[in-house]
Amino acid sequence: MVDGKQSISFRERIQGFTRNQTALLVLVLLILIVVFTSLSGGTFLSTSVGSTILTDWGAYILLAVAETLVVISGGIDLSVGATLSLSTVTAGWVLVNGLHLTSKTTGVDAWPALALAALVAVLTGLLVGAVNSVLINILKIVPFIATLATFGAAAGMAIIISGGMPLQGPTDFSLINPLRIPGLDPKVFDTGLFSPLVILMALVTLVVGLFLHKARFGLYTYAIGSNVFAARAAGISIARHTTKIYLVGGALSGLAGFYAYVRLGGGSPTSGTGMELYAIAATVIGGASLMGGIGRMWGTVIGTLILITVQSGLLMIGVATDWKQIVVAVLIAGAVAVQTLQKKNGVR
Amino acid sequence: MAEPLIRLQQVTKSFGPVDVLKGVDFEAYAGKVTALVGDNGAGKSTLIKGLSGVQPYDGGVVSFEGREVHLTNPRQASSLGIEVVYQDLALCENLDIVQNMFLGREELKQGTLDEAAMEFSAIKALQSLSVRTVKSVRQKVSSLSGGQRQTVAIGRTVLRNAKLVILDEPTAALGVAQTEQVLNLVRRLADNGLGVIIISHNLADVFQVCDYISVLYLGNMVARLETVKTTRDEVVAYITGTKVLEGVNE
Ligand SMILES: Nc1ncnc2c1ncn2[C@@H]1O[C@H](COP(=O)(O)OP(=O)(O)O)[C@@H](O)[C@H]1O
Ligand SMILES: [Mg+2]
Repeated sequence: MVDGKQSISFRERIQGFTRNQTALLVLVLLILIVVFTSLSGGTFLSTSVGSTILTDWGAYILLAVAETLVVISGGIDLSVGATLSLSTVTAGWVLVNGLHLTSKTTGVDAWPALALAALVAVLTGLLVGAVNSVLINILKIVPFIATLATFGAAAGMAIIISGGMPLQGPTDFSLINPLRIPGLDPKVFDTGLFSPLVILMALVTLVVGLFLHKARFGLYTYAIGSNVFAARAAGISIARHTTKIYLVGGALSGLAGFYAYVRLGGGSPTSGTGMELYAIAATVIGGASLMGGIGRMWGTVIGTLILITVQSGLLMIGVATDWKQIVVAVLIAGAVAVQTLQKKNGVR
Repeated sequence: MAEPLIRLQQVTKSFGPVDVLKGVDFEAYAGKVTALVGDNGAGKSTLIKGLSGVQPYDGGVVSFEGREVHLTNPRQASSLGIEVVYQDLALCENLDIVQNMFLGREELKQGTLDEAAMEFSAIKALQSLSVRTVKSVRQKVSSLSGGQRQTVAIGRTVLRNAKLVILDEPTAALGVAQTEQVLNLVRRLADNGLGVIIISHNLADVFQVCDYISVLYLGNMVARLETVKTTRDEVVAYITGTKVLEGVNE
């Protein structure tokens, strides 16, 4: 039938494209690496730069993952960065002001305290997620405004609780330092790329990715972002599912706060400042549509990597840090423009 | 005559001061297609939303298979066997055919979606309706034509073991050939023993496929006619209100 034939070629185009979408992002990443390597006279392509990029990736990825879930569901979360700040500060507050621990506790001795810090940070994130959910599902405030409100409130509380200064407490920097393959002399083979915490962040991302692409949770997220009315008619409880999404998002942002705590050796109220922009940028660069219903975890993983590679690359070739935000803004605009063009050409 | 599959008695629905359904009686039978016609704003969609549980009625009695039921949410209506194909096509563009057909009723295997099993059942359901226009059940709905989308929506009701299928303007946006396809599907549903209610503005469609015709006029049921015993002119007269309150509650 004519119908069938048309749709099959259309389908092939779509499939070909989505297959290419990830490949395309990897290609962009490779090109960036080549460009920065040549502009920096080769120094960009080194294990130390690689591990720095991955450490930064660990700091951003969970916020980007949280943002991806929200964006696919058709919402937006402006509060992820402030949630990170608040979580890292409450974790620091409990250890420093609550348990009177100091930065003298280090190494393995700090682990029990760090476990508690992780718990406090995640619970704080969950709390912000719960507030977001109440604002959105019960008070029916649109996500943009609801999360703008929690953004302001969380950022303010982070400053109040910390007194505006970082709360220095116990930490174990070996958790954030790259692991080396044992037995190889680091002076000859520098294999240190992944720190234990980066590996943890990657595992968390993997788990959320599986929930997004293989489980009911993900299907409902796409369904709601695609057509709320259809999702409701299919019997999905929109409020319950969006609550889950914002809770997961909050918990992920809280865990990112823990990462920031370990990295800094304390809770700083400015750790997450401006990071919502990066989370949204990584999500959009990764191919998620701000209209909802479209996006993939792989895209976000590589989108975050692209963002950080650009940042580090610009820094290495001597572009002033002040340009960072502008570059991020251009990348967001560029990614959305590409999406719009693709849509216009009927690729999606 | 056999007992109706669904019977509404004196159902009412208001939005604030506006009475949209003013005590409506209505029934539909298994194995039959019942048309629900009426002018824009007559209350057809509102009547349907009450049946699907999306927007419960304010008052009146609803009986399904002879028992009184209270339709308060879609899941519950669906568990009784009432499924609706909405006018504005309740499909998710970014999901594929299988995902759409199983949405809200996914099959799981060890906590993950059992894609293979769902794909198999989806294909079987479409085959039971002799659907040949859909080549792959893994294409996204955004790539489908209007007729194919209706096919998916109707196939979904079969998959859900519906007893009563309600279609709100299923052919409104379709061309001639696709309309024909969808009407054939509708007839096949009834021939398979399901009760079908179809809302339509197109009297040609109605006369082609329906056994009974019920006419709503400004929130009142003004006629219930047997298709073979009426004419288009008569139906139009009821729709436009030039002929009123005959053959109701007979
Ligand atoms: N949610 C609502 N709130 C207020 N008025 C409504 C609502 N839904 C429908 N109506 C009104 O009820 C009347 C009947 O609408 P509807 O059932 O959609 O009619 P039909 O489908 O027959 O065209 C219209 O006047 C419409 O404006
Ligand atoms: Mg209507």
